[in-house]
Amino acid sequence: MTRPPFARVLVANRGEIAVRVMRTLQLRGVSAVAVYHRADAGSPHVAMADQAVELVGSGPVAAYLDSAQIIAAALATGAEAIHPGYGFLSENAAFAQSVADAGLTFIGPDAATIALMGDKLSARAFAQAHGVPVAPSVAFDGDFAAFETAVAAVGYPMLIKAAAGGGGKGMSIVREAAALRETVRVAASEATRYFGDGRVYAEVLVEQPRHIEVQVVGDGAGAALHLFERECSVQRRFQKIVEEAPAANLAEDLRAAMCADAVRLASASRYRNVGTVEFILGADGRYFFLEMNTRLQVEHPVTEMITGLDLVSLQLDIAAGAGLPFGQADVVATGHAIECRICAEAPDRGFVPATGAIRHLTVPRAPWLRFESALREGQAVTADFDPMLAKLVVHGATRAQAIDRAGAALADLAVLGLDTNVDSLARVIAHPAFTGGALHTGFLTEHADALAAPAMDDAAQAAFLIAAALGNHDFRQLVDAVPEPYASLGGWRN
Amino acid sequence: MIRLMIGGSEHAVEIIARRPQLVLSVDGQHHVVEVIAGAGDGIQTLRIDGQTMAFRRAVADDAVWLRIAGRTEAVTPIDPFAREQDKGAGGDDVRAPMPGLVVDVHGAVGAAVARGAALITIESMKLQTVLCAPRDGVIAAVTRQPGDLFARDDVLVRLEPVVVGE
Repeated sequence: MTRPPFARVLVANRGEIAVRVMRTLQLRGVSAVAVYHRADAGSPHVAMADQAVELVGSGPVAAYLDSAQIIAAALATGAEAIHPGYGFLSENAAFAQSVADAGLTFIGPDAATIALMGDKLSARAFAQAHGVPVAPSVAFDGDFAAFETAVAAVGYPMLIKAAAGGGGKGMSIVREAAALRETVRVAASEATRYFGDGRVYAEVLVEQPRHIEVQVVGDGAGAALHLFERECSVQRRFQKIVEEAPAANLAEDLRAAMCADAVRLASASRYRNVGTVEFILGADGRYFFLEMNTRLQVEHPVTEMITGLDLVSLQLDIAAGAGLPFGQADVVATGHAIECRICAEAPDRGFVPATGAIRHLTVPRAPWLRFESALREGQAVTADFDPMLAKLVVHGATRAQAIDRAGAALADLAVLGLDTNVDSLARVIAHPAFTGGALHTGFLTEHADALAAPAMDDAAQAAFLIAAALGNHDFRQLVDAVPEPYASLGGWRN
Repeated sequence: MIRLMIGGSEHAVEIIARRPQLVLSVDGQHHVVEVIAGAGDGIQTLRIDGQTMAFRRAVADDAVWLRIAGRTEAVTPIDPFAREQDKGAGGDDVRAPMPGLVVDVHGAVGAAVARGAALITIESMKLQTVLCAPRDGVIAAVTRQPGDLFARDDVLVRLEPVVVGE
């Protein structure tokens, strides 16, 4: 590799993404600084870093959101730049500004771009102004009667969304006028709680939509290009669990139009660093701008696998001022990649998150496979953080091969000690609607019955019960006990 | 004999014979079982009625977790003593349906509540849920305060019967 883009970078995150960012820092010869809350003191991201700084605070989440402490840690350790990962402070414009004000480099876009794209209303207006299709919508300015009339004019069903929301949070569907007032009240109250901003708006609901997003990269001076699209339609609670690149069964003209729109948006906003333009695509071929994520995405590895690029490395170069190291024609997609998010949750109980501890971990290994995690045996899984435990990402020459490889890898993976969605993911990717590429964001609901855990036959159940009984300490002692007549003879064990 | 729960149903596993071969009964059905030395990497092997079966097993505090043939299950030993204890409290406890955080507590200890009355608002996965009284009663205990975390199945509110007259 070329000269290190920075001497030292602080990673303001935890878990798998901190580990993933540090891997590239090490590859590039950049010294890595970790920050951590006491609860994460034994975490792999702390062990992996060249230096680690403890964040003191009331709780683990608050610690990773404490921008003042994080910037102080960067200054104290001599880090030149801060990589925010995803979540936490990654899309916080005030944090990006504070980092810049402290004389450090924020590895991401500038604060103004984060603010522009972070506000759904301003992002929408910006997209619309630059010829990117947006879904018809109605803003709520406090006058309910006017809002109700305008919503009725556009037509139900509508989606009520928080202006400051994202990641599926603060969204609800309203199918009839009677439910509008209560839905808006709850949405505004939740928006105030989670985003500190109670503004909501209504948007046309696209039925059976596909979630297609385009990875973009910009130099901050108006040059931008795309790294193809990802499909993230398999979702529960508006959150992705299976992602792939490229999208299956996507007409070439649609793909080209979406990628061109995304690049135009990135270019117009003088976007710096990597970002993602999300669209919803209706069954009728109409697509609308959803939002722009101004950071590295959870699912970025599928793009890395088809393009052969290292997006974190690209982020470092752009943040260091190197510009875009290649042109659009140099970006080539090869094969197909699929990511499965391994989560601590119970798919058979409405995907409720699970807590517990990792008691056994077996990770599959293959040249075409990446297992991104910060897991270790014995680790406690609490309700403090997102239930995502790991990402299993595979590449294949074709989509069919990628699906086969993902299935084999999921079969080999064992995360024992708490409820996970591993078995459920295996059923998802083996389902004919998935293999056939008939995807939409209601996929899991539509196929809920077929995706539920199948009943066990008696032989399988007996196997579980016998293996469990033999794993029980007291029962095993009874099994191994020396029966009286043999004990008196001695040496019965041979 | 050991009693085990799997997938919501209860089963009994019993030792029928140890020698010359181990025979276990599962709900009355006899199976010849051979424990084969582990192949390493956490894989263990059993031979049940001549069928070789590789599995992974992790023993947690309250359950044995197993992965066999691409299927993961938690098998829970039943402690007959604990079950008797549970019986007394059955129906009076409002338990957490999922792990999360308490947002609001709607009634104080000693308050009479009607069936369906909101007792506690919890938050999980950024969604709020109101847990309601399963029957008429009096709040006997509130185990968590706003801001407190809890795990799934933790008792959050305990009810006692309404005392009608003397």
